Amino acid sequence: MSALPPENTGKLPHFVSKEPFDLESIEKLTPEQERIYFASQLTLMWWKFKQHRVAVWSGVFLAVLYASIFISEFLSPYDMTKRHVKDIYAPPQGIHLFHKGEFVGPFVYPYKVTRNMETLQRVFTVVDKKPQPLRFFCRGDKYKWFGYVKSNLHLVCPPKKGSFYLLGTDRLGRDMLSRIIAGARISLTIGLIGITVSFVLGIVIGGLAGYYGGWVDMIVQRMIEVLQSIPSIPLWLTLSAIMPATWSPILVYFGITIILGLLDWTGLARAVRSKLLALREEDYVLAARLIGASPKRIIGRHLVPGFMSHLIASATITIPTMILGETALSFLGLGLRPPITSWGVLLNEAQDINVVAVYPWLMLPVLPVIFVIIAFNFLGDGLRDAADPYK
Amino acid sequence: MGKYFNSGGKILGLALWLGAASMGAAQAGPPEEPRVVNMAELGKVAGKRGGTLKILMAKPKDIRMMVIYSGTRLVTYNDSFKLAPDILKSFDVVEGRQFTLHLRKGHKWSDGQPFTSEDFRYYWEDVAYNKELARGGLSNKLLVDGNPPKFEVLDELTVRYTWESANPLFLTALAGARPLYIYKPAHYMKQFHAKYQDKAKLDQMVIDNKVQKWSSLHVRKGRQYRPENPDMPTLQQWMNTTNPPSEHYIFKRNPYFHRVDEKGTQLPYIDTVIVNMSSSAIIAAKTGGGESDLQARYLRFDNYAFLKKGAETHKYKVYLWPNGKGSQMTILPNLNVADPVWRKVMQDVRVRRALSMGINRPEINEAIYFGLAQETGNSVLPSSPLYKEEYAVAWADYDVEEANELLDEAGLDKRNGDGTRLLPDGREMVITVETAGESTEETDVLQLITEHWKELGIKLFSKPTQRDILRRRITNGDTIMSVWQGLNRGLATPDMNPEELAPVSPLQGIWPKWGQYYETKGVAGEAPDLPEVIKLSELYQSWRKATSVEEQAKIWHAMLSIFTDQVYTIGIVSGTLQPVVVNEHLRNVPKEGIYSFEPTAYFGHYLPDTFWFDE
Repeated sequence: MSALPPENTGKLPHFVSKEPFDLESIEKLTPEQERIYFASQLTLMWWKFKQHRVAVWSGVFLAVLYASIFISEFLSPYDMTKRHVKDIYAPPQGIHLFHKGEFVGPFVYPYKVTRNMETLQRVFTVVDKKPQPLRFFCRGDKYKWFGYVKSNLHLVCPPKKGSFYLLGTDRLGRDMLSRIIAGARISLTIGLIGITVSFVLGIVIGGLAGYYGGWVDMIVQRMIEVLQSIPSIPLWLTLSAIMPATWSPILVYFGITIILGLLDWTGLARAVRSKLLALREEDYVLAARLIGASPKRIIGRHLVPGFMSHLIASATITIPTMILGETALSFLGLGLRPPITSWGVLLNEAQDINVVAVYPWLMLPVLPVIFVIIAFNFLGDGLRDAADPYK
Repeated sequence: MGKYFNSGGKILGLALWLGAASMGAAQAGPPEEPRVVNMAELGKVAGKRGGTLKILMAKPKDIRMMVIYSGTRLVTYNDSFKLAPDILKSFDVVEGRQFTLHLRKGHKWSDGQPFTSEDFRYYWEDVAYNKELARGGLSNKLLVDGNPPKFEVLDELTVRYTWESANPLFLTALAGARPLYIYKPAHYMKQFHAKYQDKAKLDQMVIDNKVQKWSSLHVRKGRQYRPENPDMPTLQQWMNTTNPPSEHYIFKRNPYFHRVDEKGTQLPYIDTVIVNMSSSAIIAAKTGGGESDLQARYLRFDNYAFLKKGAETHKYKVYLWPNGKGSQMTILPNLNVADPVWRKVMQDVRVRRALSMGINRPEINEAIYFGLAQETGNSVLPSSPLYKEEYAVAWADYDVEEANELLDEAGLDKRNGDGTRLLPDGREMVITVETAGESTEETDVLQLITEHWKELGIKLFSKPTQRDILRRRITNGDTIMSVWQGLNRGLATPDMNPEELAPVSPLQGIWPKWGQYYETKGVAGEAPDLPEVIKLSELYQSWRKATSVEEQAKIWHAMLSIFTDQVYTIGIVSGTLQPVVVNEHLRNVPKEGIYSFEPTAYFGHYLPDTFWFDE
C-alpha cells in the first residue's frame, strides 16, 4: 500500500458538481451495442457458455441427476435393501414393446428360475409366452421419503406377481437399478458437501494469506506444501481408520466428506492467494481502504467477486475428484460401509472374480461414475471458458 | 546301518552316526520295516514316481499347511477313524495309562541320520524339562491331575510313558492335525543347546542369527509345526528347501520316508511340491486359471460356478467336500466381556437362545449356500457317532415372536423411539460383532443377521479386524461378540478330546477368562461361576479319566446336551460344501472326502504321498 493519505489534514468537505452529466454525450451507442456493453458479467458468461454445446448438455444431464436425488425412492422400482431370495444373481431383464408383432406397451417377460446342480448356479430362462406389462405411477414397496413422509408411490413397479430387474440383482437378490439410484444420492452429494468445506477453507485461508502477505502468507504456504506433499490415498486411509466402528453410517458419511474437504482446500487457497496478491494492488482496493472498509469487507465484497467466476469453474472441476475420492475409499473398503449405499460401496461389492466371470452386470455402477465425471469435466471446461467472456 | 545300533552306548552310537554322515555312507530308502500302504484296500491305484505339484498359499504362516497336509504323525486315524501307528511301528497301551511306543528299525531322518529313542529322550530331558526352553512347563495333555508321566528309554527303538492313572488324551494329541511333538532331531538340535554346545561357539551363533539368547535360537531352528528351517531334518514325505521369506517354497521328497506302496515303491510318488504365495483375494482367480494342482484353502463355496467354468480349459476337476466343522460359522457371545452390564446380558441363557432363534437360517442357507447346507446350530455332524438331532436343532428354529418374548423376560423390555431395546443401564442394545476380516462370506451372513436382529430390536454392527488382533481382544475381554468357525471336531468320536465344549483356553471366544483360569492352573483368569459351565468343566475332567469308550461317549453326550441347550455358541449353518480343485491328471485324490482340520487334517488323512500324476 504505497500512497496513504497525508495525516493531520482533517476531513475533506463533501463536493458535488452542479454541471449536468450525460454519460453518452461523446458517443451515442446503438441499441445493439448497448445490449452488449451494458450486459452484466453473468449475462456475458451465459452467452459465452451457450456456445459450448457439450458443456450445456453436460449441465443438463447433471441437473437432471441432481434433481433425481430428491425423489430417489419414487424413481426406483424396489426398495434398495429388499432382498429377493428366490432371484439371487438374476441377470438384467429387458423391456419390450411388441409381443408377437403386436404393440403391448412396455412389458417384461417373466423369468423361470431353475437350479443347475452341475455348476450350482441359478439359471434364469426368459419365458416369452405371456408378456407382463409394467405398471406406472403405482403402489409398491413402502418407503419414508427423507425419513419422514411415508409413501409407497413409485414411477414404475414390477408387474403383479412378476419381477422387473432392469439391471439385474446382486448376491442377496437386491435390485441393482434401485441400488444405483439410491447410491447416486450419496455419491453426488458427497462432492458438494466436500467442496463446500474446501471452498470455505480455501477462500478464508487463501484470502488471509493473499491480503496480509508477510508471515501469515509464509505460514500458510508452508502448511500447504506439507499437506500437498503427503500422498493422498494413505492419508485418507489413516483418517478414515480413525472413525470408530460404532458410528452410525450417516456420521461416517459426514466424516468422509469432511476428510475429503479438509484435504482438498490447498489448491484453491493457492489460487485465491495469488489472485488476491494481484488484485489488492488495484486502485479500487485502495479506494475502499481509504473509505475505511475492514479487511473482511474488502476481501469479501471487493476482491473475491472479482474472480468468483474463476472459483466456480475450478470448483466444478474439483467435484469429480471428490466423487472419485469417495468411490476410491469405499472401493478399498475404508470409506462408506453398508447399509449406506453409494457407487463406491456397490463397486466394492463387485470386487470379486466371480463377478467378473459370471455376474458381469454387478459392475454396472461404473457407468454412472464415468458419465458423471465426464459431464463435470465438460461443464467445468465450458464454465472456465465462459468465466473470461472478454477474451 | 543296523550294526551301529547294536554297538551299545548312545554316545558311541552318536559318534558313529556323525562319522557315517560325513562319509556319505547313508543309503537312501525306506526303513527296513516300512509302513505298507495298501492302495487297493484304500480304493486307490498304485502309481509311478515323478512330477511336481503346485499349490497356492497366502500368508507366510501357511507353510504349516505342509505339516498338516503331510498327515505324518506318530499315530494317525485310519480309514475308519481308529487310531493306528504311522511313524511308530506299533504301540502298546496298558490300562490306558502305560504307553509303549515302538519305532521302526532303520528309520532315518531326512538327512540320513537314524531316528531313535534318543530323539525322544532329547526332547523329554533336554527340552521339555529345560527351564529356559519350556517356560510354560509341560503341555496340559501330558499331565494327569497335574502329574507328568514317567519316561523310560527301553532300548534304541522303544520308549515308554507311564502315568498314575489313565490319560486318554495322549494318543489323540499325537494324532492331532496340530500334533503334540514329543521328539526332536537330537543330532541336529544339540548344536543349538547350551548343554551340548561349546559356550563360545553358541554365543557366536546367537549373534550371527540376531537373536537374544540361545533358547530363542533353539526354538527358531527347531520348529516342527512350521517347517521354516530348511536345514532341520524331518520325517515328513516332503522337506522344505527354501529359506523364508519367500514367494516360492520348494519342498523336495524325503529320500528316507517310511511309507511304501504294496509293490514296494517308496512314497511319496510326487518328487517336488511348490508352494506359491499369493494374495488370498486372488487365489480363486489363479486356481481358476489352472495355477494350482490341488487347492481348497482360500476357495469359497460361491467360487464354485466360476471354478467350474474354467475346469475344461484349464484341465482340472472340482469336487465338493462337505465341511467337517460343527458349524460353518458361529457367533460367539463373550460370557467374560469386561463391560459388567453386557457380561450379565451375555450370561443370560434366554438372551442367547433368543439371539439364536432370531436368525432366519433358511434365508441364509438359500442366499449364501445355495440351499445345500443344514440349518442347524453348532454341534456334531450327522456322520458322527455322537450325533443326536436334538443337539443340532436346539434353539435353531426361526421364531421371532418367541425370541422377542424371551428377551422381554430377560429384562430387556424397554425400547427407545425407533424400537431398539435398551440395556438395563439405559444404553442402546448395539452389538458390535468382530470378525477376523478374512472372508466376505462372514460379512454377508452378518449383514443378513443384522436385518434379522432388527426384528428383535437389536442393532448389529460388524467390525472386521485381523485374526491376531481379534485373538488379543478376545483374551482381554474387549469383544462383546466375535465370529469364529464352529466345533473343529464336528465328526467327533467318543475317544476324541471334548475340550472345545469346556473352558480350557483363553483363545475360546465364549469364555476366555475361564479358559485362562484352567490353562494357567488358576494363576490368571477367573474361576467359572455359572453352574452349567462348572458342570462342563467337571465333565471334561471326568472324560480325562475315563477308561472305556462307553464312559467317554456318555460324557460326550452329557457335554453336548448342556452345550447346545445353553447355546454358548450361535451356529448358523453346518455341512456346507468346500470346493476342492484337483488337476485332471492327479490321481488318488478322493472324489468324496471331508474337509476339516480335525480329524482329517484337510488332505492329510487322504495321504498326499499317494497322489501321483498319470502323465
